[in-house]
Amino acid sequence: MNWGFFATTVIIYVVTSLIAAWGLDLQFGSTGVLNFSFIIFVAAGAYTAAILTLGSPSGPGNVAQQQYFAGATLPFPLPWIGAMVVGGILGLLVGLVALKRLRGDYEAIVMLVVSLMALYIVLSDVGFLNGASGLALIPSPLQSGGNLTGGTGYGWFYSGLTVVVGVIVGFVMHRLMESPLGRALRAVRENERAAEAMGRNTAALRLLVFALGGSLGALSGAILVGFINAWSPGAWGFAETFLLFAAVIVGGQGNLVGVAVGAFIIFGLIIQGVLFLPQIGGDSALTECLQWITAGLLILLSMWLRPQGIIPERRRRLSRWIAPARRKRNGSGLLRWR
Amino acid sequence: MALDPAQPTSVAGFRQRPDAVESSGVPAGPPILEVAALGVTFGGVRPVVDVSFSVKRAAITGLIGPNGAGKSTLLNVIAGAVRPSAGSVAFEGKRITRPSAHAVARLGITRTFQLSGEFGGLTVLENMLMGARAQRGESVIGALLGRRYWGAQERALITRAKELLEECGLVSKLDDYARDLSGGQRRIVEILRATMADPKLLLLDEPFAGINKSTARGIETYLATLRARGMTMIMVEHELASVDRMCEDVLVMARGSVIGRGTMRDLRGSRDIRQAYLAG
Repeated sequence: MNWGFFATTVIIYVVTSLIAAWGLDLQFGSTGVLNFSFIIFVAAGAYTAAILTLGSPSGPGNVAQQQYFAGATLPFPLPWIGAMVVGGILGLLVGLVALKRLRGDYEAIVMLVVSLMALYIVLSDVGFLNGASGLALIPSPLQSGGNLTGGTGYGWFYSGLTVVVGVIVGFVMHRLMESPLGRALRAVRENERAAEAMGRNTAALRLLVFALGGSLGALSGAILVGFINAWSPGAWGFAETFLLFAAVIVGGQGNLVGVAVGAFIIFGLIIQGVLFLPQIGGDSALTECLQWITAGLLILLSMWLRPQGIIPERRRRLSRWIAPARRKRNGSGLLRWR
Repeated sequence: MALDPAQPTSVAGFRQRPDAVESSGVPAGPPILEVAALGVTFGGVRPVVDVSFSVKRAAITGLIGPNGAGKSTLLNVIAGAVRPSAGSVAFEGKRITRPSAHAVARLGITRTFQLSGEFGGLTVLENMLMGARAQRGESVIGALLGRRYWGAQERALITRAKELLEECGLVSKLDDYARDLSGGQRRIVEILRATMADPKLLLLDEPFAGINKSTARGIETYLATLRARGMTMIMVEHELASVDRMCEDVLVMARGSVIGRGTMRDLRGSRDIRQAYLAG
């Protein structure tokens, strides 16, 4: 076994999944928006990065005669930035349709329908993004030639680049969630009507997290497609959204470190780890099924035994910001509390 | 008889500020709120029918009536949570019939809820801070700039929130989750949170519902203090003794309409109003 290749694959897969899971957590864990269509933002980012590096479909670079509606050859990191912009705009569009008037279960159903619609549009309209075959031979960033995964040296470089991006995203997420904006988002999750009555434009806040989460999902897809050099509808079914939810729920909603732990368990240990198990009964498909069964069981166990996740949302002890309060036992003010 | 904040209260430990017990000094002036021919229709149901009244400044206006009279719906319309099908609401001379709830709140109208309005998964201090508006760290750019940008304002708000909580004996609960408080404590936090915004008009939807008498008297005293400081309030309440103590002006609603207005003493003498209560 090529352990270098395995390690770089796991690192890139886990970190890109973590970036997407943070985006989902911003929507679901922090703001309470149940987005079952999250994977379409990952896909949008992957396709955008792909067509912004593949070049024009009618150009000489399209040796595989792939069909797609438009293309360009932009230098790094413009395809990634373009992917984030497209993810954000798509988030706004989907959000305007689904978030404006709907809440809770209905909102979740609309998201599921949006996800299926997007999948079938791409599958049906071959001229749009090459249909079920998807796009292949997508050049890797900062590597001329772009032959699949390149060498292990490039793999290590790319995994390092991915980790750097992951750290930057983690820093940005931390800034957002530990700020008054993060508090307002959590307030929307806890009681939207009260947040509105406190002067917060909850519709705008929900749209904001949809756009930001969409951008992060798209960035995740853009990084991943630069490594695997191909992208097709098989990579973004509903099951992939389910895995991202699993990472958030198992790790701990509303906690960046918790989600990181969840992403490592789901994408590092279960999805990648299971691939190295021996075949069951000579059937490789059975081993693959173990990924989904294990992830599903983990969600069930987590919901049952530790619904708050492995590392739950942190309590913000804001009283530490000021001089320690004189603890008045039972209070001496308006009321006496037992 | 309305509650006089200048009189010593029987509620243990309530610390009144000297400025609180003096006259608010707010000139009578034009009414702060004017409701004209207001109507609300939900499908075939008309919970509010042709309601008109005005609210004077620095006073607590009571809104009473039997269940289903339309009191909470009326409060929801004023707060921008429900759009009326007819009529208008003007706040400080400005028509506010169309804006959404958050826009109304930004104009200076804050409300509390009949049922729990707290942010259960936020601490008491965080709940209080949600009451404050125009926070520097609530924009994406502001949040990304970090504590150096919004920290000073945050610290000032925390200090103010702590003072308010101290005033009501809840300072030991600063970092407790709001969901872990008792019903009375939640009600107090909700009212204190509303005052963090320095509202010009505070809408109170049954502030004494489901809490014990001692807590209710404490809240009464605090609301009287706010009134003395110049805050205007509209209070929907079923506890008529509290309304009697706190409100000089009381509106009675039944079947979606205002059927009477005056002091509780006047209203108690009205046969129509007694009948409306008994008949629902």
